[in-house]
Amino acid sequence: MVLKTLDVLGPLHGYGIARRIEQISGDLLAVNQGTLYPVLLKLEQEGSIASEWGASENNRKARFYRLTRAGRRQLQAETHDWEQTAAIIERFFAVKAEDLK
Amino acid sequence: MRLLRRFVKRLGSWATRSRDEERLNAEIEEHLAQETDRNLRAGLPPAEARRRAVLNFGPVEAMKEDYRAQRGLPFIETLVQDTRYAVRRLRNAPAFTAAVVLTLALGIGATTSIFSLVHAVLFKSLAVANPAELYRVGKAARCCYWGGYSQEDEFSIFSYDLYKHFRDNTPGFAELAAFQAGGGLFGVRRAGAAEAAQGYPGEFVSGNYFAMFGVHAYAGRLLAPGDDQPGAPPVAVMSYRLWQQRYGSDPSVVGALFSLDNEPFTVVGITPPGFFGDKLRSIPPDFFLSLNTEPVVGSAADPNDVDTHWLDLIGRIRPGADAKAIEADMRVELKQWLRSHWADMSANDRTKFPEQTLFLGPGGAGITAMRDEYQHWLEILMLVSSFVLLIVCANVANLMLVRGMERRQQTSLSMALGAQASRLVRQALTESIMLSLAGGAAGLAIAYAGTRLILRFAFPHVAGMGGVPISAAPSMPVLLFTFGVSTLAGIAFGIAPAWSATRVDPIEALRGASRSTARTGTLPRRALVVLQAALSLVLLAASGLLTAALHNLESQKFGFSQDRRTIARIDPSLAGYQPDQLTTLYGRIRGSLSSVPGVSDVAVAQYSPLNGNNWGAGVWVDGQPLPGPHEDNWASWDRVTVGYFDAIGTRIIEGRGITEQDRADSQLIAVINQAFARKYFKQADPVGKYFGRTEMQSSRVYRIVGVTEDARYLESALDKPVGPFFFLSEPQHDIVPSTGKDTDPGSHFLQDIVIVTRPGARLTSDQLRRAMASVDPNLPIISIQTLAEQVDGQFRQQRLIAQLTSFFGILSMVLASIGLYGVTAYNAGRRTSEIGVRMALGATRAQVSALLLRGAFALVAAGLLVGLPLTLAAGRFLGSQLYGLNPYDPAVIVAAVVTLGFSSLIASLIPAIRASLVSPSEALRAE
Repeated sequence: MVLKTLDVLGPLHGYGIARRIEQISGDLLAVNQGTLYPVLLKLEQEGSIASEWGASENNRKARFYRLTRAGRRQLQAETHDWEQTAAIIERFFAVKAEDLK
Repeated sequence: MRLLRRFVKRLGSWATRSRDEERLNAEIEEHLAQETDRNLRAGLPPAEARRRAVLNFGPVEAMKEDYRAQRGLPFIETLVQDTRYAVRRLRNAPAFTAAVVLTLALGIGATTSIFSLVHAVLFKSLAVANPAELYRVGKAARCCYWGGYSQEDEFSIFSYDLYKHFRDNTPGFAELAAFQAGGGLFGVRRAGAAEAAQGYPGEFVSGNYFAMFGVHAYAGRLLAPGDDQPGAPPVAVMSYRLWQQRYGSDPSVVGALFSLDNEPFTVVGITPPGFFGDKLRSIPPDFFLSLNTEPVVGSAADPNDVDTHWLDLIGRIRPGADAKAIEADMRVELKQWLRSHWADMSANDRTKFPEQTLFLGPGGAGITAMRDEYQHWLEILMLVSSFVLLIVCANVANLMLVRGMERRQQTSLSMALGAQASRLVRQALTESIMLSLAGGAAGLAIAYAGTRLILRFAFPHVAGMGGVPISAAPSMPVLLFTFGVSTLAGIAFGIAPAWSATRVDPIEALRGASRSTARTGTLPRRALVVLQAALSLVLLAASGLLTAALHNLESQKFGFSQDRRTIARIDPSLAGYQPDQLTTLYGRIRGSLSSVPGVSDVAVAQYSPLNGNNWGAGVWVDGQPLPGPHEDNWASWDRVTVGYFDAIGTRIIEGRGITEQDRADSQLIAVINQAFARKYFKQADPVGKYFGRTEMQSSRVYRIVGVTEDARYLESALDKPVGPFFFLSEPQHDIVPSTGKDTDPGSHFLQDIVIVTRPGARLTSDQLRRAMASVDPNLPIISIQTLAEQVDGQFRQQRLIAQLTSFFGILSMVLASIGLYGVTAYNAGRRTSEIGVRMALGATRAQVSALLLRGAFALVAAGLLVGLPLTLAAGRFLGSQLYGLNPYDPAVIVAAVVTLGFSSLIASLIPAIRASLVSPSEALRAE
């Protein structure tokens, strides 16, 4: 979700990512915002995102995160995996008793 | 890939710790600020806006912890933390730390030292290429000259002819080399040098010896098959040690002419440093000569004698060859060779022909004479040191348990505050591992010193000669073993108390730490003390048994006098004497030495008592049938000059000793000892009777003219009665009547000069050397020592073992006492309030002390009970390994029990009395 957000919206600071995730999930995900930061750290250590200081909207200092090339590749890979998983599950839901006879 | 990158990042994050922390705080603040802004814009009051923001964010501290866990490597960070904490705690308890480290160091040091020795003597490989490919012919080492065509159990020493037969007919060996089983001294002098010859050890080897071992010359060249031909120019190879120490690595030595036993030899090369020959021995050889030069230098036997066996064989097998097949082949070859000499074999040999066999064994360690000799000593030492290690571990466990108990309160507190049990256990573990590593490191230093000490006592260094090639530095396998043991000990004893502390409900521990109802808490400690007491008893008893055995051996009736006797060792062959010149030489020696002030008597013998030598022969008594092949007709013998028996102090019981009338041209005579008389003549009077030696094929050679008391000459079977012995006169040569040949020309080269000093007179070795120099300046005195020292030397190993075991016995008793002291003190401390109550109710000090002592003595009694059967078992084991030991000696066992009991009494008395000295009101107040 973080990667997709960054992919779609470009570089964002931590708060921005948290807000966007809330919005996109339609407020269905009520996760503590703070749990975002360890995740960001992990992604940064893996090299999927990079960070640097920048100025936020109200001209305050904030840390901005952006997607790296490796991160883009990871996003594509995970998207592909997810779609595959979803397709398999769907086939199971679509199957009817007669098809299996 | 990502994982690897992440790992590396986490590893390096340690450097940016504080900066990352600041950044996180900044980001959190920023996040909260923005959320608060948003809430403000939505219309909430500022306090509520902030509160909502914080709520929405989630628990900050937990998140921070999670963040930190992600950021670094928590495992390593906690390890570092725990280590620093452990160091700090240990520094705050110096007594405890010192006690544990010292105890561990002693135990580990002693064990490592002894295991190093054992490893070196039992497993040390020769300093050659690929020792695993080497095989030796013969399992048990035989030394040094054997005659005939049969050897009991196995053929393990070989004649030159037999060696050549094997070498030429066994394709399974890539190279088969032969070398002298014994080794002699050579009188060495550099050609052109004015100095007198000095004796150095040397060995005769076959031409392919060095090629077979795969060693290369350090300088010059080594012996080659071309040197080992009859008539080849005489060459020799010098050891690196001698070249470096005596000649200062002078390159001109290579190719120089040397005189060895007055014969010219060219030194063609130097062996590589570290090469010590084909067997482990106290004094490694300094010269290597070809087998075929043996007759030139002149030795005790003619090597071209087909049936004189004097060589050991080691060979390198071809890659892929099967040792078992080669062994079978060689057995066939042996039988073939014996058959080809059927005509020369005696009737006995022919009877024993079917049993003749041989064995191949791994040869990587060379000829195992030293291993065979020392094996049971080393096994005993290993057992002793294992016991010590056990006791040490028990002591350390005890100390650790105490510490664990003391920290029970703190551990419970930590757990109540939320610490994880695993983390607490890890902390205890870290502390104990650190202690054991420190103990192991200190133990290494002790091991090094200990090994050097033991080596020095077991193999005393002879000035000018090489030393036993065992390094005092602990070997790698032993080091690893040591650290393994110490780490295991630390883990085992540190973890148990910590783990048990975490199992207890924290409130229990907090409530009554000093009043712990858990009596079971002291069970492990008490069990440990019992174990220590038992093991200490075993060690004390063992040391008592060994010391008693040693005393028995040293104070036995030797049959000769040890005081005022000096033995000067010479070797006339080093100065090139021929057999016909010897009688005159000995006469001149006796004359010259007698004139030294203070000397009252001088005689010369082939070997003096207990000097390590032994010549033997088969006896054929006149009038009795020729002894059969399986009959024991062995007797040892010695060749001596006139006046020997007076000089050595052996009484003549019947008849006479050797006198001037026993010359070369008179009837061959012999003086026998009582054991000989008893064995071969039973009750009859032996004086005037005749006997011969079986190899002379005659029973009427020597006329018996006297009988002496039994005297101890041989260093084996010191606890058995003296065996049959006869003495021959020096000028008389053993000419065999039928052939006219001298049986033992070499036996006239007498080696020990016995010098008796007047009471109160003192003799210096300078005086002796000067007197000898006036006889012949070229005849070196090899060594001078008193007869008492020579006899003592036979007991060196036994004394060393007894001393070491006693040292360990006392050490373990001290440790056991300390353990008992600790337990009693702890018990007393625990029961302080109880003691207070008792005393307030009228108990006297003595009664209170008795109460505590009873508990301590129960432990000691249990220990003795457990230890007694162990002691008896240990005694039996010792008795089977050593001679002269009475395993059930009641005096020793009682002494050990009493000693242990006494030290336990002292150890438990002190805390008991101290506890009883506490005033009742204080005791009741103490919580």
